[in-house]
Amino acid sequence: MTTPQVPDPATLAPSEEYDLYFGPNHPGIEGNYSVRVRLKGDVICQAVADGGYLHRGFEKIMEDRLWVQNIALVPRICVPDPVPMEESYARAVEMIGGLEVPLRAQWIRVLMLELSRICAHLFTFGGNAATIGLYTNMFWGVTMRDLFLDIFEEITGARIYHIYITPGGVRRDLPEGVLERIEALLVELEERMPQFEDLFFNNAVVIDRATGTGRMSAEEALAWGVTGPNLRATGVASDVRRDDPYLVYPQVDFDIVTETGGDALARMMVRKGEVVQAVKIVRQAIAALRKVGGPVRCELPNPLAWDLPAGDAYARTESSKGELGFYIVSNGGPRPYRVHVRGASSMHAVQVLEKLLVGSRIEDVAQIMFSLDACPPEVDR
Amino acid sequence: MSIPARLNEVLNELPAIQARPAGARRVRVDVAPQGLPALLELLKGRLGFIHLSAISCVDWIEDGQFELVYHVWSHEMKLLVSCHVRIAREPGVYVSVHDIHEPAGFFERDIHEMFGVHFDGAPSMEKFILTSWEGPPPMRKDFNTRKHVEETFEWVDYRPDWLKDIERKGGGIES
Amino acid sequence: MSDIAPKYKGSMLRPLKALSFLFREPATLPMRPRPAAKVYRGFHLNDWEKCVGCATCQQICDNDAIRMVHIPALPSDPAKGIRPRRPAIDYGRCCWCALCVDICPTGSLSMSREYIHVSRDVDSYFILPDEEGMHGVRYPQGWAKDENADLLDLKRQEMPEEPPQERADNFSEICEGYDPQTAMLEASRCIQCGMCHDACPAHMHAPEYIRAIFEGDFEKSVAEIYRTNPFPQVCGRVCTHRCETACSIGKRGEPVAIRWLKRAAVDNVPQDRTIAIALKDKAKTKTGKRVAIAGAGPAGLTAAFDLAKLGHEVTVYEEKPRPGGMMRYGIPEYRLPYERIDADIAVIEAAGVKIRCNTKLGRDVTMAQLKGQADAVLLSTGLNKGRSTRIPGSDHPQVRAAVDLLARITLGEAFDIPASAVVIGGGNVAFDIARSLARLQRRAFGKVEVTVLALEERDKMLADEEEVIESAQEGVKLINGRGPKQVVIEGDALKGLETVKCLSIFDEQGRFHPRYDETDVMFHPAQMVIEAIGQMSDVSFLGEDLTEQLEWSRGRIRIDEAGRTSVPWLWAAGDLVKGPDVISAIATGHAAAASIHAALMGETEAREAK
Repeated sequence: MTTPQVPDPATLAPSEEYDLYFGPNHPGIEGNYSVRVRLKGDVICQAVADGGYLHRGFEKIMEDRLWVQNIALVPRICVPDPVPMEESYARAVEMIGGLEVPLRAQWIRVLMLELSRICAHLFTFGGNAATIGLYTNMFWGVTMRDLFLDIFEEITGARIYHIYITPGGVRRDLPEGVLERIEALLVELEERMPQFEDLFFNNAVVIDRATGTGRMSAEEALAWGVTGPNLRATGVASDVRRDDPYLVYPQVDFDIVTETGGDALARMMVRKGEVVQAVKIVRQAIAALRKVGGPVRCELPNPLAWDLPAGDAYARTESSKGELGFYIVSNGGPRPYRVHVRGASSMHAVQVLEKLLVGSRIEDVAQIMFSLDACPPEVDR
Repeated sequence: MSIPARLNEVLNELPAIQARPAGARRVRVDVAPQGLPALLELLKGRLGFIHLSAISCVDWIEDGQFELVYHVWSHEMKLLVSCHVRIAREPGVYVSVHDIHEPAGFFERDIHEMFGVHFDGAPSMEKFILTSWEGPPPMRKDFNTRKHVEETFEWVDYRPDWLKDIERKGGGIES
Repeated sequence: MSDIAPKYKGSMLRPLKALSFLFREPATLPMRPRPAAKVYRGFHLNDWEKCVGCATCQQICDNDAIRMVHIPALPSDPAKGIRPRRPAIDYGRCCWCALCVDICPTGSLSMSREYIHVSRDVDSYFILPDEEGMHGVRYPQGWAKDENADLLDLKRQEMPEEPPQERADNFSEICEGYDPQTAMLEASRCIQCGMCHDACPAHMHAPEYIRAIFEGDFEKSVAEIYRTNPFPQVCGRVCTHRCETACSIGKRGEPVAIRWLKRAAVDNVPQDRTIAIALKDKAKTKTGKRVAIAGAGPAGLTAAFDLAKLGHEVTVYEEKPRPGGMMRYGIPEYRLPYERIDADIAVIEAAGVKIRCNTKLGRDVTMAQLKGQADAVLLSTGLNKGRSTRIPGSDHPQVRAAVDLLARITLGEAFDIPASAVVIGGGNVAFDIARSLARLQRRAFGKVEVTVLALEERDKMLADEEEVIESAQEGVKLINGRGPKQVVIEGDALKGLETVKCLSIFDEQGRFHPRYDETDVMFHPAQMVIEAIGQMSDVSFLGEDLTEQLEWSRGRIRIDEAGRTSVPWLWAAGDLVKGPDVISAIATGHAAAASIHAALMGETEAREAK
């Protein structure tokens, strides 16, 4: 890294502007990420995003590993929302190999994806509240998420890095009684939702701080490549689950939640609505899983001698943060020739963030970033 | 699976284009490097392919080529068209499509950093992730991660008691 | 900041709502250890009784976190596929994906439900897991293999076979062989652990040739096979396949069909290509040395092939009209068609080996002549005489040796086919003659009356399982646990055999010493009694002088590890020294050839030639 040259202030011409480094260890920055902002007073006149603090070279490493081995890597790309990573990787492999995922496994995947969405939104909800000083929300959000992690642990054997979805299905069937425990947890979540509502959305501080903050129009959002809840908060009803459906989503009944504000508040409102929708989807998945039996994985060859046919595929997934893409190329060998991960935050953690920060105040940098739900590890990969 | 007629019409207006269906809601288009910007313009203007989902780069080192894949989505047609172009690996220069799709800026900058492909007219070719990296673009196939790791890092030489005990009896870690 | 809009101010009493939380159960967890989930991926557990040290866990580990540790105190048994080593886990690298558990062929690996390891001691992160757990505290088992999680394919590809009704009266080959697609599928089951390589007497490069088949490169596969075995057509059909006994996949499932894969490799490469591949490393120059080999069985021909490739002039002398030894005159054609033996031998002849058939040692050529003509002589005359039970009446002309009858069948020499026969013995030879006879009987009389009388119980049979099953399909009867007592003769005519119940076969020391219940007698009427209890060698052709010169050990010629006898110009190989079976014969043939080459060229030159 080039060391920044610090000139002697005495030699500089008097200026009203100055640079401030936000991150990578700033408590208000999500993950290890940095934004360099140029300030005039407390108003930002320029922002430059700086990533790379979480770069682990996943795309490169995956080229050296067997098709099955890579399932251990992919959830690590986005820690708060790992399931879409696992699912997208597996699905791209399945698209290339022409693998048929058994119906039961498809429902299990939907269940996992939506549980993960709930977790991720709770996490972001808590984090977003913390950026404007509301720590109770953060504790509540994180606590609630933890109860969902218990469910993940029960199903997959791990709380965060589930390594559960594998090309062809999932690694094992659901444990006995877990559907009932999920149902009980959903009831608990629903009981808490009015409290979150009280504490956050009906909170004068939130409304005042979040209204108009980091606002973008639908036209801007579309031009900037914004996806997911951030796009829907500008009024565009776009959702990969509906537009480019995968798994059994065509059979699932859910609403696409939209808001029109396009600001931090609207984005959080969309997420709140999506938690409600996710609960609805999870219930449908539970009902389906009570009926649909059968295998949870298709027959696969010995993983040490598995050559996928040559070809390429682009799998898109609606993660909690937007459109996640996995472009995988196989040259007919035992390992991927190329894996390209289009992190769902690619746009709103870099170019869009830089745009939205201009003109806002320094106190809102963290809030804007959180309200966009930017996930630096999936940008860095 | 077939290519929608509307898409076919538009594609037929351009020279040297090959298109084939590539699964549900997927169409693969192969296009000559000089034809890509026009193709993207046309797709965007006529059929609503306004969303550039990603640009992927693949290093076909044995062919001496980089493959660039532009994944564009039409909210209107509910279709993903992947436009494939192949450019010479050396000098590895192409044009930016930032003026057509703003998100291209991010992906082009990333590909420049990881593969060393230079995009003329891109808003930024500055480093983003590998700020302190002086070596070759690491995603190129001729960059060997394992070799780099072996040269850069050392294996931990564990000496737990159980191992010492086994070594005393003539055993030990097998190579 | 603007004033708060009235609608958000709410009532003055609103903050009192917080009081309700006083009575709620806290969401925080109690401060005591919480049991991990039932499938939690904690620390590794390894059942050392089940673990065979195959290192498949190390292969699947995506982080190089697994090292195999050689532990001399552990049992080692290459024949059973057990290596004295166990995996050690580096928790500085492990990512707890548990793929090692899912792939483990034996199912010995699992993970515990233990959450925490905290230590400042770096060495404590490198562990040799056993069942006790990382800290010696037995936490319950967490993630373990279940049918969905299992990554291995435990079922082998089926071998297409002729059905019993179509094969019972003829000698055409039963197994049809894998087509290339099936062979590739079968090859994909291999985990490349190499247990087969260790177990094979000839140490064939099975992992390599299986891998080549998986890659669809059958020629490469044949090249890998020819590194150690010039009889792929034969061994691909009738090998005792110890490799499959040792195969790690066979620990819980059906072993990889290594023998059938070898067959598939040669079946799918044209003969001229096979010859080109086999002779690729043939020496360009001749050494001028001559070697004479007595006996054109697998051992002699293997040695001949090796020596010819090294540039020596090799002549093989064979008593029978065609080369092949027991492969041709001992194994029935329905198991091993003659043209398959011819195909293998054609490759050997292409290497420059001369084979002189119809040349019996001691009759047509003497040992002294061989010595005079050659710089080295290899004895590989095999076990050509059947052993006798020596029970009363066993000298009757209708009491025959199985090997003798099998040879007659191959030679086309007529003998009176008995309408009913009993076979004494429970090995493969017993079934070979029983099934051959059954075919001849079906042809001659339209029905089968052959009974195999085995000393062993059904579950301890020496013969291959498929022999037992297929012979039953063809009408051969099997009676287990019977020992021969006497041949019943009335006048001159053989009437049948009396047997007694066998109580045990081995004594406390594990020596062959059967005990019988003499009161449990059974009579088996038959026109012919066939003895198939083993073979022995006839080395009378050596002559008195040479027999005198040679050192002997328990009736066998004493040799060193490489097959050299105490007479400097004479080597021995094949069933004479080890076995009897084809692959051991091949192994001893290689050893003898290497030893002969070294002796002929002198140590230094031999090293250069390598």
